[in-house]
Amino acid sequence: MELNPIVSVKDLRFSYPKREILKGVDFELYQGEVVSLLGANGCGKSTLIRLILGLIKGKGEINIAGKELRKYSQKEMASHIAYIPQYHNVPFNYSVLDMVVMGRVFKLGLFASPSKSDFEIAHKALKTIGIASMASRAFGELSGGQKQMVLLARALTQEAKTFIMDEPVSGLDYGNQMRLLEMIKELSSLGYTFLKTTHYPDHAILVSSRVVVMDEGKIIASGTSDEVITSEMLRDIYDIDAKIVTYETRQLCIPIFKS
Amino acid sequence: MQKNSARWIVISLVVLLLFATFSLLWGQYPIDFHTFMEYLGYKLFGISSSDTSTFALLDNIILQIRLPRVLLAILIGSSLATSGAVFQAMFVNPLVSPGILGVLAGASFGAALGMLISNEWFVVQILAFVFGFLAVGLAVLIGTMVTNSRSTVMLVLGGVISGSLFTSLLSVIKYMADPYSTLPAIVYWLMGSLSSAELSNVLLISIPMLLSVLMMVVMSKYFDILSLGDEEAKALGINVKLIRIIAILLATLASSLSVVMAGIIGWIGLIIPHIIRMAIGPSHRVLIPLSAIFGAIFLLLADSISRLALSVEIPIGILTSLIGIPIFVIVLKNARASWN
Repeated sequence: MELNPIVSVKDLRFSYPKREILKGVDFELYQGEVVSLLGANGCGKSTLIRLILGLIKGKGEINIAGKELRKYSQKEMASHIAYIPQYHNVPFNYSVLDMVVMGRVFKLGLFASPSKSDFEIAHKALKTIGIASMASRAFGELSGGQKQMVLLARALTQEAKTFIMDEPVSGLDYGNQMRLLEMIKELSSLGYTFLKTTHYPDHAILVSSRVVVMDEGKIIASGTSDEVITSEMLRDIYDIDAKIVTYETRQLCIPIFKS
Repeated sequence: MQKNSARWIVISLVVLLLFATFSLLWGQYPIDFHTFMEYLGYKLFGISSSDTSTFALLDNIILQIRLPRVLLAILIGSSLATSGAVFQAMFVNPLVSPGILGVLAGASFGAALGMLISNEWFVVQILAFVFGFLAVGLAVLIGTMVTNSRSTVMLVLGGVISGSLFTSLLSVIKYMADPYSTLPAIVYWLMGSLSSAELSNVLLISIPMLLSVLMMVVMSKYFDILSLGDEEAKALGINVKLIRIIAILLATLASSLSVVMAGIIGWIGLIIPHIIRMAIGPSHRVLIPLSAIFGAIFLLLADSISRLALSVEIPIGILTSLIGIPIFVIVLKNARASWN
């Protein structure tokens, strides 16, 4: 790991008029990491990543690649960090290639439109993700898992090295969940850094170099999944009983019902 | 993909050019193509094989009467269709247009007010633009006041209310206007007509109209992204607020100026973008330039019909409504697939 973090957050706070969401968060993301943010609904995971992306404003310090976040233009941010939202519907049914080439637009001058090379980069990204054959299909007609793959391809065309994903597997079927996690692992081996929120401890175990646990607006644990994901933690955060067992070398969460 | 879109744009430009040429030839006094080419050769290069004495008549018909009208139809058709496509993208709402959002009503009130208080053409234009913008602002305000989230139907309703307000204000102006001079002028102008076009006026107004259409075409690459919602667009490196406000101002300017030149010409801004989305696809990089070209073709065609169909000229605004309404009903029935 390098010494300078890509993202560095100090004493970050955020509140809505009647509710404090983040109560002083310190967090760092280093190059090459795959960090899973774990926590119950409303613990502030999504707020944290939206603050880091500059989509909302809070109090405290956020540095991206050693420079204060507020000194970045939207354009500069997009070349450092790509955001992959939860899969969604589009108002107009663009083609997959149209969706992917959108990742190139912030690089263009006012009078330019996407060039041949921009489309080549988009095609290459689709190939990397393994969905080259979908280029001319309509985005709106894809399955949730395919949509997520398209959004990943779009992130690749931004040529940013850090990807932030908000609950990437939410709404996907089991097969697509696993395919997406595998893709994250593959991209991480190509040198991309990931910060993702998740509801599934098992997913955090499967694909992360570090697990960060949040509870009521604070980070309460950070470390490898072996260190962090324990029966005690699951009881504290989710109020469930669960056993952590090891199968071969991998941890597994086994929830235990009370009755 | 990219080659395809370039090809579509070239083909439709050729079609537009053909229609424009035919519009110069068609009319109460038909001009045959051969004579036209000779006239063109004489005007452009000073060469002629036949008698040049008839060219004075052609000068009058083509340069004074038909050319300004053809140019104006192209300008207004493309302004309205482009503005419609841009409004639909900016509000992420396939049911809006300059007409639906109340822009045309606001601009007509502004222009009528300008005619009432001033003889300056420039004042009329500025007031049309200002009130066009106020009308769309009011529509958005009403549309978001009732529900916090972005609602397709509420914005349409907001536009209907805003449009009605400015239509009633326009009635106040009509009531106050001199019934022998200003009132008939306002009434005929509002029905929508391209017949009063004068070359010098048309050339003058073509500058802001063409510039705003061209700027909207240039900005079209941002519109796909903006339609994904503000947060995602921001994360894709786009200055959301700036681009949205500039695009709305440009669309308002172009459609307000069309009102100044030819009154309220409805439906073009609503149906042309839908037809292109259904026929070619929703990407704004293609949709915006093609809306500009096909809007022009549509209005040229409508104007030719209005001149030639009956011995009296049908006001163009009435004609576009008569053609536009059945088309929109068909579009509504089929278009859901292209906008989910």
